[in-house]
Amino acid sequence: MKRYELIIVGAGPAGLSAAIEAAKRNMQVVVFDENSRPGGQLFKQIHKFFGSKEHKAKTRGFIIGEELLVQAKELGVEVILNATVIGLYREKEVCVMQDGQLVHYKGDNIIVAAGAAENMVTFRGWTLPGVIGAGAAQTMMNLHGVKPGERILMVGSGNVGLVVSFQLLQAGCKVVGVIDAAKRIGGYGVHAAKLTRTGVPFYLSHTIVEAEGGDHVTGAVIAEVDDKWQTVPGTQKHLEADTICIAVGLSPMSQLVRMAGCETADDPRKGGLVPVCNEYGETSIPGIFAAGDVAGIEEASSAMIQGRIAGLAAAERSGYLEEDEMSALFLEANSSLSRLRQGMFSHANKGRTDLTETDEGYRLSASLLSRGYVEDSEIQEFPCAVSHTPGVHPVIECTQNIPCNPCQDACRFGCIRVGETITSLPQIREDAKCVGCGMCVANCSGQAIFLVDEDYDESHASITIPYEFLPLPEKGAAGTALSRSGDRLCRAVVSDVRSVKAMDHTNLVTMLVPKEFAGSARFIEFEEG
Amino acid sequence: MRIDTHPIIGRIEKGRMVEFELDGMKMNGYEGEPIAMALKAAGIQIHRYTSKQHEPRGIFCAIGRCTDCVMIVDGKPNIRTCVTPLKEGMKVQTQYGVSAKPEE
Repeated sequence: MKRYELIIVGAGPAGLSAAIEAAKRNMQVVVFDENSRPGGQLFKQIHKFFGSKEHKAKTRGFIIGEELLVQAKELGVEVILNATVIGLYREKEVCVMQDGQLVHYKGDNIIVAAGAAENMVTFRGWTLPGVIGAGAAQTMMNLHGVKPGERILMVGSGNVGLVVSFQLLQAGCKVVGVIDAAKRIGGYGVHAAKLTRTGVPFYLSHTIVEAEGGDHVTGAVIAEVDDKWQTVPGTQKHLEADTICIAVGLSPMSQLVRMAGCETADDPRKGGLVPVCNEYGETSIPGIFAAGDVAGIEEASSAMIQGRIAGLAAAERSGYLEEDEMSALFLEANSSLSRLRQGMFSHANKGRTDLTETDEGYRLSASLLSRGYVEDSEIQEFPCAVSHTPGVHPVIECTQNIPCNPCQDACRFGCIRVGETITSLPQIREDAKCVGCGMCVANCSGQAIFLVDEDYDESHASITIPYEFLPLPEKGAAGTALSRSGDRLCRAVVSDVRSVKAMDHTNLVTMLVPKEFAGSARFIEFEEG
Repeated sequence: MRIDTHPIIGRIEKGRMVEFELDGMKMNGYEGEPIAMALKAAGIQIHRYTSKQHEPRGIFCAIGRCTDCVMIVDGKPNIRTCVTPLKEGMKVQTQYGVSAKPEE
């Protein structure tokens, strides 16, 4: 039986971060992962992360994954792949299936960072080929470069459903709709808004009734649901789709901690059954820790901090770190974690439907929650979205308190201020002069910033939008400007296309539209072919 | 079904193109990619039929967890095609229940 000072289950963001912290303190660490590649789900995350610089905001998930792997390698962390941990015992022993054999290890400390599993819904036809998990769609298109289908229906409007829908568009698929049985969109408004403005419709208070097709999906039937989640007769709609993607939440993979006998609690705000942990992630069994989604469903950004904390605590427990050094490092990591855990979407506010105002006292957009875009009348409530400084200037359609501030760092001229609390809405400082560099547009993880010049010339306004699709248009190309709601507004001509390394594939497309559309044109559509 | 160039990832690195067989038919796929991806790219969606109801099944989770996509690979049944790398000359068969041919 081989012995390690620290055994980590799972080489995702939490597990790798834990391994890195422990290895930095010279601990002997091994990480087991059942997959053939490390990184967990990070390599499927091609969007820019939220948070602030310390949380690697505006960096795409797969880049963060690469950084973690390099760091782990440099520190000599042993990562054993194709190794499924199938048993964890109170005495801190683990059984690992490797090459068809069961191998037995003992650890002085164990960190369980096994992640989460996708939830499913069942409906008529749900077993047909063509009904897939949202994670499967990400795996196919972002890891293997294969489209999951041509016409996709997304079931679920949480962040996973929204982010994957956008990724489907980027892969060249058509998203025929995003449905959710809830009355309100579950994920960030900015994620919904960037789908809606490309023309993706939302169907809230809708459930899936049937996946149609003989031996694979050829369509979907959806219907409205009432307050008791029952389908309303006569509201059935047929949608043409070859793929139905399910994104109805995640559940913590807490089987191992349960098996070891750690105390658990069912916490709906954390996504289900989770181990009861102290502030370091230590379970009721001393020396067994849980970090990341196992301990409660959150984002990869918070999983990484939880991993670091557990790694530090394990190092201290084995005498590799002095108590006072540990508590200083813990306080720092913990405050970084609490900065992420604020705002409308925090655990504390999860499921709340009574929020009507932002922290600043602005009226929340009801249309954003029910239709996926902020209506023209509602956007007027937000000063950052209606600035009328002469010349080119940013328009920030960020209307919910979410933990994110790259826009503030993006502007070298100090035009944008978020402040200490990263969930605050950005403010545009009228005294600072915008030079139109567009870094705020490119760095906004929510793609909610536009550069607008209402008086580009006598009759036109210019609008610069973030554009993460192919083909990239050429200067002079003509298209149709779309509104926030995805409605076709007017003809638009591309006057500039900018793409520099620092923008990391968020290209800037500037379009000219008649002046009257300066406040409403937010996307450009090109004829196919 | 393959994404030629992706706006964020660019070109996805693949192994060399190799031949393999599906139910005796010649197919092509990239060496090292999951068998299921090569099939998906070729438009194949049905991996197996269930034993009692003879219902078709295909890719569902794509990460080796749900076992919906199992097929017979080189004579071995119940191989999770979504996590098994494609090799040149592999013989892949549609699975019926737990075997290769439909039960009478």
